Amino acid sequence: MKHCLVAFLFSALVAASSVYGQEFKVSSPVAGFSVTQLDGAPAHFDNVKGNVTLVMFISVQCPVSNAYDDRMNALYQDYVPKGVKFIVLNANRTELAAAVQEHAREHSFQFTVYKDENNVVADRFGATVTPETYLIDSAGVLRYHGSIDDAQNVSRVTTRRLRLALDAVLAGKEPPQAETKAFGCSIKRAPKGT
Amino acid sequence: MNRRNWIRGWIISLAWLFWPKPKGIAAVSLTPLDEAAFRRMVAAHRGRILLVDFWATWCAPCRAEMPQLVALWTAQKRRGLDLVTISCDEPEQEPAAAQFVDWQGAPSPHYIRHVASDDNFINSIDPKWSGALPALFLFDRNGKLTQSFIGETDPKLLETAIDRMLST
Repeated sequence: MKHCLVAFLFSALVAASSVYGQEFKVSSPVAGFSVTQLDGAPAHFDNVKGNVTLVMFISVQCPVSNAYDDRMNALYQDYVPKGVKFIVLNANRTELAAAVQEHAREHSFQFTVYKDENNVVADRFGATVTPETYLIDSAGVLRYHGSIDDAQNVSRVTTRRLRLALDAVLAGKEPPQAETKAFGCSIKRAPKGT
Repeated sequence: MNRRNWIRGWIISLAWLFWPKPKGIAAVSLTPLDEAAFRRMVAAHRGRILLVDFWATWCAPCRAEMPQLVALWTAQKRRGLDLVTISCDEPEQEPAAAQFVDWQGAPSPHYIRHVASDDNFINSIDPKWSGALPALFLFDRNGKLTQSFIGETDPKLLETAIDRMLST
């Protein structure tokens, strides 16, 4: 009976942690990963990370992600001078590099957008929605996972969750909330085996 | 729900998108729903298999699959399937959401999430759910969540799961 209970708890734990093979969890280290530049060249996390690194999954077509375009640009303007590096990723199989490039140009993104081919990085982070963010501290530990703030409509925002997390991590403190959720578009994943 | 129905869903969805919208208040209204109201709603469907569809007007795959969900419910309601739609739209999109869900022939009442915290609401339904749409949740006859379908779902997978539950 005791063995059955242990086996059940173990399998429940495995099931809970196996959202698309999620590997990186809050309070755990983030191992190196590779992304693809829009010209097709690879880029490695070790070469693009900063003292504090913000990984952000976005979309070309998702209206929720697009509702945050100005807020993303503002984040970039405010936090790059503080030493934060941005790794902005598009993991949607339905959005090709050319469309991602055009979208970045149209919205005057000041940050580089990378493609996450076959959503390999999204799988490792367990990212499922756009926009979705992950904040990595100077020791390479994931400190925050979740939404940019608590309202799609900027006029209704009450808590700027990501900014609070960024300020805390930059000050060497724990974010007030380590994980948050919000409604958004599902990441359009590549079929398994491709 | 074959490929033809899938294409038909997209056509209906696109037609709705470009159809002239009436000015003023929509003919149907959406019922606000929070965590407690969600629990009460699920409890009210005990004895039936309940499919809950979280959707939004901004979610193209949600709009595309709605006609298929309504067709599935129409075909299986006599066997004990109930369908509930919950819009995750912002308040300013409520008239468009009400119009769309009514146009689709989804069963009433139609709901819209009205919560203090999306975090708490999402976690109360399924802690493993990130908030990504579309999202479908299947409850058994005891009101227990048995399966979650997050993102675009293979209609055959959903049909099989529902058929299995209706058969037991």
